Amino acid sequence: MLAGLDFRTLPEQVVNGLFLGAIYALIALGYTMVYGVLKLINFAHGEVYMLGAYFALFTSYALGFGPNSTTTQSSVWNLLLMLLVSMVACAIIGVIIERLAYRPMRKSSRISALITAIGVSLFLQYCGALFLPNSPPPSISENVNPYRGSTRLTLVPASSQLQKLANDAKPAAKQADDAYAAYMAAHPKADEFSLPPDGQTLRDAKLEADRKAQDAQSQADTSAVSITIRYGELIIFMTSMVLMALLTYLVMFTKRGRAMRAVSHDFDSAALMGVNVDNIITFTFIVGSALAGAGAMMQATFKGTTMTTFFGLLPGVKAFVAAVLGGIGNIPGAVLGGLLMGVAETLVTWAGYSRWSDAVAFVILIAVLLLRPGGLLGSSKVEKV
Amino acid sequence: MPVMSYKSFKLALAGIVLLAVAGCDKVNETPAANAGGDTKPAATGGDTTTAANRPASTGEGNTATGDTIPIGIVASMSGPQQPWGVDCVNGAKLAVDEFNKAGGINGKKVILFPMDDASKADQGKSAVEKLIGDNKVLAIIGEVASGITLQMAPTCQAKGVPDVAVGATRDEITDIGNEIFRVCYTDALQGPVMAQFAYKDLGLRKVAMMTDKTQPYSTGLSKSFAAAFTKLGGTIVKEEFYETGQTQFTAQLTNLQKLNPEGVFASGYFPEVGPMVKQAADDGMKIPFFGGDGWDTNNIAQTGGKAIIGDYYCNHYTNDEKSPEVQNFLTKWTAAYNSKPATAMGALGYDATAVVLNGLKNAKGLNSKDLRDAIDNTVDFKGVTGSITLKGHHGDPPKRALVVQVQPQGTIFKAAIDPSQLTN
Repeated sequence: MLAGLDFRTLPEQVVNGLFLGAIYALIALGYTMVYGVLKLINFAHGEVYMLGAYFALFTSYALGFGPNSTTTQSSVWNLLLMLLVSMVACAIIGVIIERLAYRPMRKSSRISALITAIGVSLFLQYCGALFLPNSPPPSISENVNPYRGSTRLTLVPASSQLQKLANDAKPAAKQADDAYAAYMAAHPKADEFSLPPDGQTLRDAKLEADRKAQDAQSQADTSAVSITIRYGELIIFMTSMVLMALLTYLVMFTKRGRAMRAVSHDFDSAALMGVNVDNIITFTFIVGSALAGAGAMMQATFKGTTMTTFFGLLPGVKAFVAAVLGGIGNIPGAVLGGLLMGVAETLVTWAGYSRWSDAVAFVILIAVLLLRPGGLLGSSKVEKV
Repeated sequence: MPVMSYKSFKLALAGIVLLAVAGCDKVNETPAANAGGDTKPAATGGDTTTAANRPASTGEGNTATGDTIPIGIVASMSGPQQPWGVDCVNGAKLAVDEFNKAGGINGKKVILFPMDDASKADQGKSAVEKLIGDNKVLAIIGEVASGITLQMAPTCQAKGVPDVAVGATRDEITDIGNEIFRVCYTDALQGPVMAQFAYKDLGLRKVAMMTDKTQPYSTGLSKSFAAAFTKLGGTIVKEEFYETGQTQFTAQLTNLQKLNPEGVFASGYFPEVGPMVKQAADDGMKIPFFGGDGWDTNNIAQTGGKAIIGDYYCNHYTNDEKSPEVQNFLTKWTAAYNSKPATAMGALGYDATAVVLNGLKNAKGLNSKDLRDAIDNTVDFKGVTGSITLKGHHGDPPKRALVVQVQPQGTIFKAAIDPSQLTN
C-alpha cells in the first residue's frame, strides 16, 4: 500500500504543507477569534476572504495591471498597497456584517445567529455574482508580482556517477538541437508539425537525443534530496508569521487584548467589570477580517488563483476544520490546526492518494469530534449551553 | 446539558453541507461537457453501429401555421457560462438573418426565439417547455453545456421536436432519442486526438496527467487520453488529482516533477489549469501542458500567464484558421458585431442553426417531423467548424478536431485531426 513512497521528496512535501497551511491558519484565526468572543461560527468569513481577493484584484487594476495592460514593471510597494487595501476593506466589511447581521441577533438563540451567518454567506456569494466580474473568472496579473520563480536547496547532492552520465548525454542532445534549429532557420516557412522528410528526420533525432539526456538527468535528479522554495510561497509564509506574531502581541500584551480575552472567558462578567463589549466585538471582527483579507490577497497574487464569488468556499471550509482541529476559540490552536491541515493534505498527495487529499480534512474533523471534541489545544471543560 | 459545543459543531457541520450544496451547482458548471458519467474510451465520433438503436419519438411536434417559421434557441445568456451563451445566440442570429435575407422558405421568414437558462439545467428544461408549448417552435437549438442539454433533451424527445445541441460533448446525450443531434465532436474523440498529437507531433513518450476528480468531463477525458496514449506506445508516468476550486497544486507538481515527465495532460477546466501551469513554471518545470476544450476561453492567456503561452488544447474552432469558411464567417461576424467571437461557441451556434435551416430547406413540409427527417439526412454540410454529416451517425457527426496553441492574443491553429486519421 505504501510501496510507492519516495522518501526523497518527503522534506519538500512537508515544506509544501507548511506553506499551504499558513493560509489556512490565517483564515482559521478569524473563525476562532469570533467564536471565542461570540460563540458564533461566522460562516460569512469565507466570503470576507473572497471579497478580499476582489479588492486586491481591483487595486491591481487601479495600479495599471488590468486585463489588457502590458505593464510589466512592478515593485514591492504595489504588493504592500494591495495588501493594505485588502486588509482595510475586509475589516470594514467585517464590521458592517457584524453591525447589520449579527448584532441584532445577539440576544436570540444560537441557532438563529448561525442561520443568519449562513444567510450572510449565501447573500454575499450570490449577490456578489451580480456585481463582481466572475465570468470568465478574472485573476490578478502575474506581472504585478516581481517575485516569481523558485530556488532549490540541496540537502543531499545527486549521485556523482549518475550526474556524470547525465552530463555525458548533454553534448549529443545539444548537437541534435542545433542541427534542427539550423534547419528551421534555413526554412523559415516550415511548419514544425508537417515537415518534409529531411526535416522530420532531424526533428526525430532531436527529440530522441533530448529524451536520452532528460532521462539521464532525471535519474541523477531523483538520487538527490532537495527542497524547492517558491519565492511567492516564502512571502506568504513569512507575512503570515509576522501577522500572527502581531496578533499574539495584540491579544496577550495590550489592554484591548486583555479585554478581548475577558469577553471570551465570560461575556457578562466582562461587561460588569466595565469592558465595552460592543467595542471589543467590533475590534475582533476588524482583526479577524483583516487577516482573511491578507490571506486572500496573497493567495490571489502569488498563486494566480482565478476568482468567482465562490472563491472563499473551499478555503473557508478547510480553515474552519483547522480551527476545530486546533480547538475552536483558541488562537495558537488555530495556527497549529492550519499548519497540520496543510501538512496532512500534502502528505496524502505525497503518499500517492491525491484523489483523497481533500477528504482528509473531513476525516480529521470527524476524528477530532469523536476523540477530542475540544480540539488539540482546546479545553474539554463542560460548557453550559 | 451537552458537553462543550457539540451542538454548535453539529450545526456547523450542517452548515458546511448547506454551503457546499449551494455552491456546487454554480462552481462546477463550466462550458462544454459537464456533469455525470464517464466517457467510452478511445471510440471516435460518429458511431454508426448503434444508429438504429435510438428510440423514436411518439410526440406530435409543431407545425408552422402562419407566414413565419418559429425556431427556438436555449443558451446561458446570464450566469457563469454567459460568454459561451452570448456567443452562441449571436452566431444563431447571424445564420437566421442570412437565411431570411436570402428569401427564407417560399417567402416565409424564420423567427428565432432566444431563451435564457441562466446557466442552470432546470431553467433550460422549462425554457424548452415554454418554447414548444407557447411559441410552437419547429426545432430547438442548444445547449452549449452537456449538463443542461441532458435536462432539455428528454422533453424535446417526448414532444417530438428536434434538438440540435451546440457544444454538448458528453457521449450519451444523443442516446436519448432520434430527435437529438449535435454539431460538435464528442468527448471520446478529444482524448485520442490529443494523445496522437502528443505522441506523433510533439514526440512525447512519458506523459503525466492532472485530473479534476470532481468533474466527470475531466475524469472521462483523462481516461480516454490514457488509453489512446498507451496504445500508441507511450507511458503515463502518473495521474494526479485535484478538485474544482483548488488553488495550490504544489504537492501534486512536486510528485510529478520527480518523475520527470515530458509533458502534462491537464484535462480539467481553465480556472484551475491556468494557476496550475503558472505554479509549474514557478517550480521550474519547462514542459508543455495540453488539454481539451475545457481550456477554451478568450482569457486563457491571462489566467495561465506567460507560462501557458505555447501550450496546446483541443478545440472545435479557432478564429485563426485560414480556411475560406472560417474567414467568410469572421467577415460576417465582424460586420454584425464589430468584434471577433470570443469563444468557439459563436461558430458552433452558427453551425447548429445553419444545420436546422438547411433542414428546413430540404424538409417535405414545415413541421417538426419532416424537419427532423431532413436534419437526420444532413450529408456533408459545409459548416464553419468543418463538414457535418448526420445521416446514419446516431446524431453524432464525425467531426474533425483542431489542435490550437495558446498565444498572448488568442489561439493559433496548429493541426486539424479527422477521426479517420486516428491510427487506433
